[in-house]
Amino acid sequence: MIQSLLDGILVGAIYSLGAIGLTMVMHMLRFANFSHAELLSVGAYCALVFDRLFEGLLPVIANNIGPLSLTWALLLAMLVSMGVTGLTAMAIDRLIFRRVRERGVPQSMVFASFGVALVIRNVIGLIFGLSPTFYSNDIAFAMILSQDPLILVKPDQVFVLIAALICMGILHLVLSRTTFGYALRAVAENPSLAQVNGIRLKAIIAAVWLIGGGLAAAAGVLYGLTNQITPLMGNDLLLPVFAATIAGGIGSVYGAVAGGFLVGIAANLAMLVVPSGYSPSFPFLIILVVLMVRPNGLLGEERT
Amino acid sequence: MTTTLKTFGAGLALGLSALASGAAAQSCEVKIGGIFPTSVDWGRPIAETAKFAVDQVNAGGGINGCTVDLLLRDSQSDPKVGVDAAKALVDLDGVKVLLGAVGSGVSMPILTTVAVPAGIPEFSCCSAATAFTALAEEGKSKGLWFRTYPTTDVQAAVTAKIVADQGLEKVAIFYKNDDWGQDYAKLLAGYLDQMGVTVTESVAANAAQPSYRAEVTTALATAPDGIVGLLYPTEASVLIREWISLGGSQKMVFSNSLRSDEFREAVGDKYLTQAVGMDNAAPRVASADAFVASYTENFGSGPNGPGLPNSYDAAMIAMLAMQAAGPDASGADIAAAVAKVTDPAGTPVTADADGFAKAAEVLSAGDTVMYQGATGNVVFDANGDVAAPAVMWKFTETGTEEVTYFTMEDVRSMLTGN
Amino acid sequence: MIGVLSYLVFFATMASILAIAVLGLNLQWGNTGLFNGGVAAFFGMGAYVTLILGGLPQPDRLGGFALPYLLALLGGGAGAGLLAWVVGRCTLHLRHDYLAIATFGIAITFENVARNASWLTGGAQGLRGFEKPLQDTFGAGLSYNAGFLAFVLCVLALVYLFLERLVASPFGRLLRGIREDETAARSLGKAPARIRLTAFVTGAVILGLSGGLFATFYGFVSPQDVLPILTFQIWAMLIVGGSGNNLGAIIGTVLVWAAWTLSGWALSRFAPLDMQLYTGSIQYILIGSVIVAMLFWRPQGLFPERLLISRPARSRGTTSGQTGSTDT
Repeated sequence: MIQSLLDGILVGAIYSLGAIGLTMVMHMLRFANFSHAELLSVGAYCALVFDRLFEGLLPVIANNIGPLSLTWALLLAMLVSMGVTGLTAMAIDRLIFRRVRERGVPQSMVFASFGVALVIRNVIGLIFGLSPTFYSNDIAFAMILSQDPLILVKPDQVFVLIAALICMGILHLVLSRTTFGYALRAVAENPSLAQVNGIRLKAIIAAVWLIGGGLAAAAGVLYGLTNQITPLMGNDLLLPVFAATIAGGIGSVYGAVAGGFLVGIAANLAMLVVPSGYSPSFPFLIILVVLMVRPNGLLGEERT
Repeated sequence: MTTTLKTFGAGLALGLSALASGAAAQSCEVKIGGIFPTSVDWGRPIAETAKFAVDQVNAGGGINGCTVDLLLRDSQSDPKVGVDAAKALVDLDGVKVLLGAVGSGVSMPILTTVAVPAGIPEFSCCSAATAFTALAEEGKSKGLWFRTYPTTDVQAAVTAKIVADQGLEKVAIFYKNDDWGQDYAKLLAGYLDQMGVTVTESVAANAAQPSYRAEVTTALATAPDGIVGLLYPTEASVLIREWISLGGSQKMVFSNSLRSDEFREAVGDKYLTQAVGMDNAAPRVASADAFVASYTENFGSGPNGPGLPNSYDAAMIAMLAMQAAGPDASGADIAAAVAKVTDPAGTPVTADADGFAKAAEVLSAGDTVMYQGATGNVVFDANGDVAAPAVMWKFTETGTEEVTYFTMEDVRSMLTGN
Repeated sequence: MIGVLSYLVFFATMASILAIAVLGLNLQWGNTGLFNGGVAAFFGMGAYVTLILGGLPQPDRLGGFALPYLLALLGGGAGAGLLAWVVGRCTLHLRHDYLAIATFGIAITFENVARNASWLTGGAQGLRGFEKPLQDTFGAGLSYNAGFLAFVLCVLALVYLFLERLVASPFGRLLRGIREDETAARSLGKAPARIRLTAFVTGAVILGLSGGLFATFYGFVSPQDVLPILTFQIWAMLIVGGSGNNLGAIIGTVLVWAAWTLSGWALSRFAPLDMQLYTGSIQYILIGSVIVAMLFWRPQGLFPERLLISRPARSRGTTSGQTGSTDT
């Protein structure tokens, strides 16, 4: 029970990171972006490339940090990857989503994102092959926190949680303390009014993609660190990340964080009572229950 | 937009007529169709292995002197796409033999909708569902269905024997949540029960799951002596790593699908020293080594991966049967000729280019041959199923090695109850 | 040449079955504006219920009631309708992006249940034990396929005529009214929630019929038939054809399904064998790119919706613009 709760929190941190970017994009551009989860794959593979590159250039940084299977090289690669993935997300918007948006039919955005997801997934598969890979082939053993009841935690997972919390903390400061943060919220509230007041809409949209892509990359790397890296990982994470976004309420960054943890914990706890074959359905059932109680999600506001 | 339509229609007509005339003009080329999920991680090597078998046959002189042309189609693991591909191969390309598919959900509609109505034999490497046996027993597969993948019953019986021999008394089972895994786990639990081994928990692992932590925690909580993993490398590498890192018992028994370099490298052989697995055995003859050697030379690693030897055998037997049936044989003739190339009393032939050339010689003299395949001396029963000898294997630093050999008789004696 | 004919009959059958599904989606999305991300669930419900009702009794499994075929098929449609009613009651009041994901989740859950509830669905093995109807009369080969194609075409024609009459009727105008401006419709004393639910359920029944025909064609259905890619395929057909236009939906289906299968065929024929192992990924990239390109150049589809204006308005010379949904 306690173990499941703990597992849920640790997995939930990754969902939260993915959901923050998604909720911002969905709020700002008003469409369900089915390609967002693919940015996690892009981030994970990008970090893989830089990780190997840095290890080759500077073997010194290929050492593990403390008890983690994470190396300094990977940490550095993750930061680079966050930037590159953010820029990729911006580029995809410039090349595809903006054009579709300008054509007028708002709902075709959802569909365009389906197509984009298909392309990204298969391009990655062509370049890197379809087999799963790992950042480190070593297995990091779990620490025993308590013998009875048996409670196990992997150092990597604690790192994932801390890293996720740091990312969220920085984002919180940016949104609540900077002019940029206010501008972002202003655009989300009322794009036309914000523009009248001299906020450049295009710049803000670009910034949203940059942030969303960066956080998705972080989520992808952290997921790869504790699980595996495959071209399909984004696809596998699609429903949990969506569930976290919706459960939290579209547009609410804090809701996305809460939603991520909620989905993680609920899915792990549910396994105690339901056969594991049914586990892919849990995120969806969570969405349904939350929407029945609160039609706009936990922290979402009503918007027409 | 009407122009688009017209151009499209014209293009279609042109393509079809080009095809019809092209087929007639080619001199001495035999086409066979292959439907594999080449866009799926473990599907691509299976297709590559089938292609390798075709290369071997061509090196051995081809079928009845004609070059074999393998037309590969991607099923995308989508039954609609796979069935359409099969229909196109049969109707448009005129193939007389279909290789594939991999998933039972694709192979089954191909069999019922394309192969049986057209009288074309279907040789599958990897479809494991018991539904095929049931279909054959009802007489609805018309003797056109063959699979080189031993039934899950055989696999479960041998696995249970291995578990008991390892001295494990309480095990947890992780199984892939597909037709093969569901069946296997159910039968295995039955066999283990007969042998007095307790199954503490049987945990389904869905493909494409973000995390297997909850599954591992569930099994860990039941404190088993060891685990049985009936999984594919992709999910097994994550799940078993998770299991080991959480301090789970390293006494593990695996299905043949995990006799894979990819899996061994992902987990690391230092954690696999106590792990063993079951597989269908190659016969104890030099030809099996020859197959492994030629395969390794071609691909740079041994045939270690789910379904690879099975795919090779399915392709080889299909081509041997085509050779035996002679030129211009119908699909039904080819299906009937399978018995001539898998005859236990026939001349043994090896599973390579030389073996194929030799088989061609023997068959042309009117005799029968026994194909000694990569998965053993393959003999199909009336339902197109095989039972093969089995081995217990373990991981080494460079691959796997066979530890115990179970002869065909051993295997039959294990199949106590169904 | 008989091979080509045989293949074309086969192709036309599958295309017609899919076209029925696309028509069902068109009622939900094109006419009513309901984003159904769970097409596969309703299609699958129709397929499974048809085989359970019409199949032969099987050991270890509930079902196999061996009902007459037409009854089983209608049962499949009704099953899908029932699912839609339950789902609709829970989700139709949601914003469209919430609805998209909620229904997407339903499709995942449906596949999941089909995979695990082996006492009812046969589990991952799939559901077998169904005899294709009238096989004794028509035999197994081309003649049977041709006969079945004729039956499918009849169903397609009936569904098409039904929908054409429906969208031209006052009810059809109401649907579009709700799609464009719900508040205005409510101010006229209409009940948008109930009307949307009716459209959603009707569309689902059509999707279910299509699924039932699909399962009949194979005599088999498995969880692999109801993966999310099916939802994507059906949507692609509607978007390419033109949402809101029933004829466009049918032509879109034929085009997309032809492109889907022909690209595989062409790659297998003209790509070098070593490249063939990568054709799966390449094909998906092509499909994704075509969809995106379509949305750039012709977001309203090849055959845009014709805006129906009542006669007096037209006689006054008010010309119609493009589809109602583009002028936002």
